Amino acid sequence: MKPAPFDYHAPRTLEAAIALLARFELEGVEARVLAGGQSLMPMLAMRVARPQVLVDLGKVEGLDYIRADGDALLIGAMTTKTAAAESALVAAQQPLFHAATRLVGHRQIRNRGSVGGSFAHADPASEYPAVALVQDLQFRARGPSGERWIPAAQFFVSYMTTRLDPAEILAEVRLPPLPPGTGWAIQEFARRSGDLALAGIAATLRRERGQCTDVRICAFGVNATAVRLPAAEQALLGRPADGEHFSRAAAIAGESLEEPMSCIHASADYRRQLVRVLTGRCLEEAATRAA
Amino acid sequence: MTTRQRTTITVNGTRYEREVEPRLSLADFLRHELHLGGTHVGCEHGVCGVCTVLIDGCSARSCLTLAVQADGAEVTTVEGLRDRESGRLHPIQQAFIDAHGLQCGFCTPGFLMTTLELLRDNPEPSDDEIREALGGNLCRCTGYQSIVESVRLAASRLRG
Amino acid sequence: MIRDQLPTSQVRYVGREVTRIEDPGLVAGSTQFIDNLALPGMLHCAILRSPHPHARIIRVNANPALALDGVVAVLTPEDVRRLANPALTAPAGWGTHCLATDKVRFVGEPVAAVAATSRHIAEDALELIEVEYEPLPPVATAAEALADGAPLLFEQHGSNVIQARVYDWGEVDRVFAEADQVVRSSFRWNRVGANPTETFGCICQWDLADNSLSCYGSYQVPSFWGLARSISLNLPANKVRVISQPMGGAFGGKGGARATDIAALLSRKAGGRPVKYIEDRMEYLLAGFGQSWDRHYEAALALTADGTMTGLRVKLIDDQGATAEGYGTISVAKPLAAFTGNYRIEAARYDTTLVVTNRAPTAPYRGYGPPPHFLVLESLVDLAARQLGVDPAELRRRNYIGKEQFPYTIPSGNEYDSGDYAAVLDKALALAEYPALRRRQAEARTAGRLVGISVVSTVEPGVFDWNAYATVGVQGVGVPEGVRVVVDILGNVTVVVGFNLQGQGQYTIAAQVVADFFGLELGAVRVTTAPTDLAPPHFGQGGSRLGVAVSSAVLGACRKLEADFRRVTAHLLGVPLDEIELMDGRFRMKSRPDAGMSLAEVAGLMLGRSDLLPPGMEPNPQASCVWTAPGRNAPDDQGRCRSYLTAANATHVVMVEIDRDTGHTEILKYVVVDDCGTRLNPAMVDGQIQGAIAQGVGAALYEEYVYDGQANPLVTTFVDYLMPTIHEVPRTERDFVVTPSPTTAFGAKGCGEGALHTTPAAVICAVNDALAPLGVALTETPASPQRVWRLLRQAGLG
Repeated sequence: MKPAPFDYHAPRTLEAAIALLARFELEGVEARVLAGGQSLMPMLAMRVARPQVLVDLGKVEGLDYIRADGDALLIGAMTTKTAAAESALVAAQQPLFHAATRLVGHRQIRNRGSVGGSFAHADPASEYPAVALVQDLQFRARGPSGERWIPAAQFFVSYMTTRLDPAEILAEVRLPPLPPGTGWAIQEFARRSGDLALAGIAATLRRERGQCTDVRICAFGVNATAVRLPAAEQALLGRPADGEHFSRAAAIAGESLEEPMSCIHASADYRRQLVRVLTGRCLEEAATRAA
Repeated sequence: MTTRQRTTITVNGTRYEREVEPRLSLADFLRHELHLGGTHVGCEHGVCGVCTVLIDGCSARSCLTLAVQADGAEVTTVEGLRDRESGRLHPIQQAFIDAHGLQCGFCTPGFLMTTLELLRDNPEPSDDEIREALGGNLCRCTGYQSIVESVRLAASRLRG
Repeated sequence: MIRDQLPTSQVRYVGREVTRIEDPGLVAGSTQFIDNLALPGMLHCAILRSPHPHARIIRVNANPALALDGVVAVLTPEDVRRLANPALTAPAGWGTHCLATDKVRFVGEPVAAVAATSRHIAEDALELIEVEYEPLPPVATAAEALADGAPLLFEQHGSNVIQARVYDWGEVDRVFAEADQVVRSSFRWNRVGANPTETFGCICQWDLADNSLSCYGSYQVPSFWGLARSISLNLPANKVRVISQPMGGAFGGKGGARATDIAALLSRKAGGRPVKYIEDRMEYLLAGFGQSWDRHYEAALALTADGTMTGLRVKLIDDQGATAEGYGTISVAKPLAAFTGNYRIEAARYDTTLVVTNRAPTAPYRGYGPPPHFLVLESLVDLAARQLGVDPAELRRRNYIGKEQFPYTIPSGNEYDSGDYAAVLDKALALAEYPALRRRQAEARTAGRLVGISVVSTVEPGVFDWNAYATVGVQGVGVPEGVRVVVDILGNVTVVVGFNLQGQGQYTIAAQVVADFFGLELGAVRVTTAPTDLAPPHFGQGGSRLGVAVSSAVLGACRKLEADFRRVTAHLLGVPLDEIELMDGRFRMKSRPDAGMSLAEVAGLMLGRSDLLPPGMEPNPQASCVWTAPGRNAPDDQGRCRSYLTAANATHVVMVEIDRDTGHTEILKYVVVDDCGTRLNPAMVDGQIQGAIAQGVGAALYEEYVYDGQANPLVTTFVDYLMPTIHEVPRTERDFVVTPSPTTAFGAKGCGEGALHTTPAAVICAVNDALAPLGVALTETPASPQRVWRLLRQAGLG
């Protein structure tokens, strides 16, 4: 299990990294960005990923930070998950993202794995894209022609594919605040603790006069990307935040999935069941946090 | 073909400079370039935790890190645990012996390095915290109970 | 019992919880596992493996690989046809060469190999080898293998059946006809396997001048592998030297026959340069020695109205995979050693069919066959208890072999040495607070929770003997395990053995015996392994035998030394031999204990002053002892023989809860009480039990090698082969009973495999107890959430 040969560059600046990617694109050389490497390395070792060049962001200055931007939080793409998990700022301002971070793998993985890398890798079983969709995260992409902000709803395209162009690099993630009074929850089901989720749900909701408002439910691990479940969300809007309605929404969540993935650990119908169960549990949990 | 990269890594306090192929993992670099064979390799795809080392003080799977990525880093391996002068085992190593925290010993260096990080950050962990910290290390021999006891013993000895 | 055997006034080590002499090197990271070893000029091997389950090989062109910079040698099917023989199998004739020559029979079967200056380059070179296959229809399941007109894996046999044999013990048909109650069920045990954290590895060097071969590697049974290589590689056995390195676990599941032959032949083709092969994890999962027990059972238990078990019928169709090279066949035979478990069952029938399919060959794994058998037996006992309305613990107790009935010969022929099953059960029930546990269960059920409890008892046949396997073509009665105890001129003691470290701690056991025998500090005793050409006859780890075998052999060798040293002492002191005794490390006069000589004094004298020795005595302060189990015999026409020397036993009490929505099983309580006789090192016994529970939980809830309908393996990484982590293994509560074995030196019994016999049955029985009120039952392993959820849905839940 040794990777096929590749060349390696470790630029010091984002500009230099982008210039390298632009050059390789022009030359028809297959280049890949290396962030923490925790997902890419196994693919290299198994030779299922065979880039000709790796451009490592590890030495790029200024991509490792967590800072407040008004009510929002800005996280540099190369910030490690451990840094995010241990950040008091993240814990205080972004409880859902914080909880999601703690669900990622194990300590050794979080120590190396970057926040930006997980978003850009866009593994459908990853917790992060689901949080992005629930909370309308925004992604700052830098490329040869400057920078642009990509909203979460457009960022994830399909299985391990994002809106980023070949010469673009995800530089920063912007997490808007959860509106006051928002209840949140994230739960997942995996065969073993720390394994990739067979299915998971991230959800937020608010309550006004006992009625659900602004319900957001997103499933991960079931389709090629994380998916919002609008039918289930709609079913709760304006309805009482109680077990009966949560159950109904959960049932709709399971039914509304489009062709869930199937693997040896979970068939499509079992994934529907997991989504149903986890949706119900997340809504219950979120409701306890909603003011 | 690929260009070798000049890579400088400080391992257990000693600075090493080598020209390495980019595709060489840190685990293979430690084992086969530096002949530090205490870091074992169990799966090479980041699941078993056998190859755990500390990179700049943080536990990491050395099979999931390229040697070139560790350029400029300080790496600690199991060979760095013993006292250099006296050769005495680190209290964590001794605790694993005393509490029978190993059988075949192949996964043990990974557990020791993970424990080193845990007890540095949390000198008095609960059993649940110990289990949480060691969740990424597979052991096929012990059934883990004696490992938890070893970590508990090490923690109490380190607290003195 | 320990005291009787050791000339010491105070036993300091044997039977005590001493730390292991193996450990300092292991925690320091300095123990030399095979991949830590490098030889001058060494090359690295990578193996090209078949992507097809079943295909004819039309053409292999390895020349492009040879052209790659850094590649030194390639090995092709053509080479091995010329230079090697097919593997030894049991039964004979169901194996192939180390590389597939005419056709491939499973995904992952070696087809060609490369030796290069690095493993990276060797893997690059594999991509340049051209292989043309003609796919053949695969045999994906045992049922397909047995179907009319099935494709044949070995055309020369005219069938996919390796062996079909029915064993009849007693009047089975009569007891079933007369039974008041017969419970029956089918069971499907899916493949699991050893997966030690270290995979197999070797370095082979073919000496072209001498035409001899040296193999360094993680060899569990070195002399056995050496002998097999001499046959596969056309070398005289005394020209094959196997040097076993410390192993990162094995559990039976560490192969390497093909890889050793491949590396050896590459060394030969590379002008005698050493060639290293380290199996990677995907290779291990695909085609290593890591898959065991692929079984389909139909079984029935006959009882009288009062709950007396009278008959057991087990029909087994066993999918051996593509060949018999992994000795998976033996695992079908081993249940004969404990077929009827803890119970007095007068008659039994075992109807076995072993077939080949295009799955990977099966291999040994801790327990070597009985764990699935006990799942079947114990599940039937629970079914019977449910039908009779008797508590499952009570039904077991009624049928236990009584402690006064030992030695007890079971219908399948083996003799159990000793035991007190009721005492073990009582202790387990007390520790579990069984009545309170049942009350908790009743309350939980009332609240709609799915909570189940099991009380499962099994016997662990220990100290294996070849006669157990004669029925599948392995001939032999007796397995030697030899040691040499050497005292140097200064009185330091070294024990030379033929096996290497694997995790169980047998070096420590050897040192414990020597240290107590000669009054030494434990740390002063050195234990070392010898290559096969220098080692005493040996087998190595296997069949829960090495602790008993080594302690017995070491004791035997110490006694021989004691006899010689007493003679020297008596001669020197001018007293009769009877007047000299060994006590606390001194050879002393019985009448004047202060007069005598130390071990060092006698040894120094033997080696330095031959003039003072008794006439005719050699200056040789060392002794060998080769131990084998006493009283073994050849099997009769129904396979009956005294095979395993000891019979340990255990009872596990397990409580689980099943999530009604997801089918996930959580273990709420786990209680173990075992009896493996004298515990030579209680901490090590404890470690074996807890470790085997972890593996048993894996087999019951998590681990499974899955194949698709075309015999393609779907589990090729640790992302899918789910070994329990620290979070999945229950914190157990443990206690023990000691019923010494009357047949071994210290009264110890084999205990290395123990809990793996019991845990899968205990967990699955608890799951089924939880499901029982719903009227559904799980009859397939593992109890994965998805599988359990399907049952819940069938019952109208989920």
